[in-house]
Amino acid sequence: MSEQVHTSSSRRLSLAQRFLIQNSNAIAWTLVTSAAGTGVFIAFSVLPEPYIMIDLFKIGLLPALAIITTAGAIRGPLAGLLTGYLGTLLYGLFAFGTVVTLSLNAVGFGIMGFVVGLGHYDFNNGRSLAKLSIVSSIGLLLATLVVVAIGLTVEVYAGLVAIGFVMLPLLTEGLPSVFLLTPLFAWAWLFLYSKILSRTG
Amino acid sequence: MSMSSSPRPSKFLFAAFVMTLVFGAATFGNLPGPVTSTGSQVVNGVVFNFADYPSLTHEQVAAFNYVRGLVNQPLERWDGWNIGSGVYYLVHYQLAFMSYAIERMFEVTSGYRTSYYSDVAYNLVKKMNTTEAEYTNASIESMEWTRPVIGYSNWTQYYYPDPIHPDANDVYTGGFRGPANIMWTGHYALMELLYERNFHNSTFYDEYSWYMQDWNNSLTTDGLGHPRASGIWECGLIPCQPYAIWVQCNTIPLYFTELYDNLHGTDWMETGMWDYGLNFIEANMTDQYGLYTDEYFVQEPMGFHQLGDGPVQEFPGKRLDPYVNDGRPLLEGYGVAWSLLFIEYTEPNVTAEDYPVFLEHYSKDISADQLCMIDTYHNPSKFDTYDMLCNLYAVALAQQMGDLVTRDRIANFIYSPYNKVWSADGRSMHWDTTAVEPFLQSSLAYGWLWATVPVSVKALADARPADFWNYPYISSADDDNIWIYQAQWDPIKQGFVLNVRVDKTATLTFSNFASEPTAYSGGYPLPPLTPVGGSDYALTLSPGTYQLVLTTGG
Repeated sequence: MSEQVHTSSSRRLSLAQRFLIQNSNAIAWTLVTSAAGTGVFIAFSVLPEPYIMIDLFKIGLLPALAIITTAGAIRGPLAGLLTGYLGTLLYGLFAFGTVVTLSLNAVGFGIMGFVVGLGHYDFNNGRSLAKLSIVSSIGLLLATLVVVAIGLTVEVYAGLVAIGFVMLPLLTEGLPSVFLLTPLFAWAWLFLYSKILSRTG
Repeated sequence: MSMSSSPRPSKFLFAAFVMTLVFGAATFGNLPGPVTSTGSQVVNGVVFNFADYPSLTHEQVAAFNYVRGLVNQPLERWDGWNIGSGVYYLVHYQLAFMSYAIERMFEVTSGYRTSYYSDVAYNLVKKMNTTEAEYTNASIESMEWTRPVIGYSNWTQYYYPDPIHPDANDVYTGGFRGPANIMWTGHYALMELLYERNFHNSTFYDEYSWYMQDWNNSLTTDGLGHPRASGIWECGLIPCQPYAIWVQCNTIPLYFTELYDNLHGTDWMETGMWDYGLNFIEANMTDQYGLYTDEYFVQEPMGFHQLGDGPVQEFPGKRLDPYVNDGRPLLEGYGVAWSLLFIEYTEPNVTAEDYPVFLEHYSKDISADQLCMIDTYHNPSKFDTYDMLCNLYAVALAQQMGDLVTRDRIANFIYSPYNKVWSADGRSMHWDTTAVEPFLQSSLAYGWLWATVPVSVKALADARPADFWNYPYISSADDDNIWIYQAQWDPIKQGFVLNVRVDKTATLTFSNFASEPTAYSGGYPLPPLTPVGGSDYALTLSPGTYQLVLTTGG
């Protein structure tokens, strides 16, 4: 990954550079990251997810969601989009043999990864990680908006279902998940990556 | 991003880490319950693989224990049932479906038949039959019939065909015990019949046989002593409220008739007493997809008002849907699911064909792991008690159809918004629904059995083999100290399979062994059982979890 282009400088990048698909090597790494992200997303999704209810609010952590945002942070918007979309889609197919609402739900989670991928982050910098947490939270809000909108207009479920079974749980589990876990996952990736680099030379 | 030095955690990262630990620990709960472990052992050269026998989970037994606490109180007491003023008319359904759920559970461990189980089933029947004379407004007669909160009151004054009975040519249909009110008589009799199926002591034989005769009279005569193929109400079916019929409520006496024949060797089904009604349903009570519709009026209710400016309601006729008000019939998904569940024994092709069509029109995808059933595709934007009911019936239908993915997705939708609450002694568990709808709490407790025990509604319509009652079984035990996950006699291998957890030292008494049995654990014999008179032998177990095979062979 020597062509790493994530910097904090403000120089203009072409669209291809920004999406990390400017040459075949970049495309390959973006796809590898998406595939790995999708795999880890599915693995986390299959695991039981502990939570507690406080009145009507479902509180807990969903590590899988932070995998999407982390993939975007590591490898740009396209990797975030693919991880969110494919992860959600394939998990549904593998675990429940189902595609939810023409996979439009999955697009919502793809958008979250995409939005996070548009930013530039230095995983070794606390301020930058805080920014990552905030952008991830914005991505989650967008995903929630899209998923609820699709549910109300395409799937056409009741408003009460949209609020109680979709929007509230996504916000009360999703926000702490992406805010807290994304910087941890991103830093852990950086840590592993630097160990591998130092070993291989 | 510099790769030259090893990354070091920042203050923000450290804060995120600590908060994750705290938050994760504080919200760690509601994980799926443990799976019942099933091993295998060889006894006298015969392999007993416990996975070959149905089993209960720890959570299923704990949910039963919660239900047991609700049921085992004085008949007029309803502590913990959370019966709000708007749901009186639903309480008898709670009793009925609670009964069906636990009777299915009892079939899983068919060799464990102590009073711990039979008392709950018996008390449910007694609770169902509480009369206004004895228990006033805490009675089912009051809650279900004489104090209706839906539709039109004065049910007790009805006659057919003219409700006010101006001459002598009408049948009185306002009685709590029939001939109408199949929404109570059907369930009451079926609860009694299932008790007989599972405990075989003729306790309720006379009463449920009376209903068998009464329904036959209703379906094959005009109610005034003359044969009529279309029965009293000229539709071959029996009303709930005196003026209207429902498919689902008639599937209960239909199912009853099948089980009655199977238990007692009668041939009521073959007389064709249900043929007219089953044909009537297909011809008059289905929608454009062939799925059952809601209410069908057999006569005009007293005090009926036509919908404003829509099409005119006809009598007799399908009830028109006020949501669309364009002449289409009223729909209710829960009725479809319930009907398909109970009609499958009689009409397997109907259920097989309708089930996927039902899912197509009555379900909404929430996410990959959650599916929400709806009350009516005419009005998917509402969500109320009846939508919830559709989920509760569809989850058992999916289970019966062997569609476990759909079963799990609906169960996730039903159960995910609630905390599991365990009792202080660890014996019982329920889902706390008080923040949403307190009345739902008892439903979700037995609903867990209803949704997940590995014996279907359909399976209970068959009687046990005649020789079953000679099989060895656990006739008494220190029930409060044990958890029975598997307990049944294998008539081919001639061994009793017992998978049990013992909390405090407990004695289990076995009946029907021809001679002194030996209990084997891991293929090795335990100390001998104690003879306690007759053909009874006692097995005392210290705390632990055991997979035992008891046999007199070898």
